[in-house]
Amino acid sequence: MNRSLLALTAGMLLMGNAAAQAQTQSPNLNDDTQMLLSQIQADKAAVVLKSLELTDPEARAFTPVYDEYQKERKEIAQRQIAELNKFASNYGSMTDKAAGEILKNWFKIQEDKNDLVKKYAKKFEHVLPKTKVLRFVQVENKLETVVDLQAARVIPLAK
Amino acid sequence: MKIARILVTLMALAGGTLPLTAFSQDEAPDQGLVADEQILLKQVMTDKRSVYANNLEMTGTESAAFWPVYDEYEAKIKKLDDRFLNLVNNYAAKYDTLTDAEATAGLKEKMAIESERADLKQKYTRKIAKILSPKKALRFAQLETRIEIAVRSQVYSLIPLAH
Repeated sequence: MNRSLLALTAGMLLMGNAAAQAQTQSPNLNDDTQMLLSQIQADKAAVVLKSLELTDPEARAFTPVYDEYQKERKEIAQRQIAELNKFASNYGSMTDKAAGEILKNWFKIQEDKNDLVKKYAKKFEHVLPKTKVLRFVQVENKLETVVDLQAARVIPLAK
Repeated sequence: MKIARILVTLMALAGGTLPLTAFSQDEAPDQGLVADEQILLKQVMTDKRSVYANNLEMTGTESAAFWPVYDEYEAKIKKLDDRFLNLVNNYAAKYDTLTDAEATAGLKEKMAIESERADLKQKYTRKIAKILSPKKALRFAQLETRIEIAVRSQVYSLIPLAH
């Protein structure tokens, strides 16, 4: 996961004319974003599968549920990107109204991410030993933190 | 397997250099160690205060209104940090013989802590938006998130995966 999508999106903020870029986002950039998002998810799936050390029957039972999880997680990631772009386009002239909206949506995204992991941890309990479910959440948290760290490094503080 | 106690993370955050193998799961946490953890936790919280003091660009009036609310928030966060320390220390102590029931209970507690932490952050960011402004509240939430991520990244790198 050398290039995180969040870092890419947030990186736009640091390119000087962030607002203009975000507002005139080209279809190509959106395509690139979608491609990267899919790539990140594929990379993540590989890491998760390797880390869980599943037996063949476990892998067969786990994979379809994990694919469902990834699908729902991707929808949340897309909302996250939309909020980052909103932050970018408002960055130079952030109003209290825009800041309030970004905050509200950002908290909802965090809540939905937590709820999603909780929901799928329960589902995985039906197909994996409990210690492997714990391991799944640990791996998921670690990967999430890697992305969050990269994003935090490039997203400037609101001014 | 040797596992570092959470203290190591706090030491790292405070600039210490305690070796990772300083504590093993076989050693029951002595009272001195627990006291050290509390001192270090307090240090991290003091450092956080200076981050906000330096970055929120508050007027005297804003400052007077902000700090009591922030202290209230930190006192609640401290309770969650203590629960998390306890959870990690229990995990360390049971690591090699972790049962399914313990794994499930640990996971439930971790998720409860995270959920309560997120609720608290949201609740107090709202309060801060009223005291300062939504723009400064956004800045506060960004800083709080950055600190959380930095701590989490250190902690997760020290905790081995369940097996």
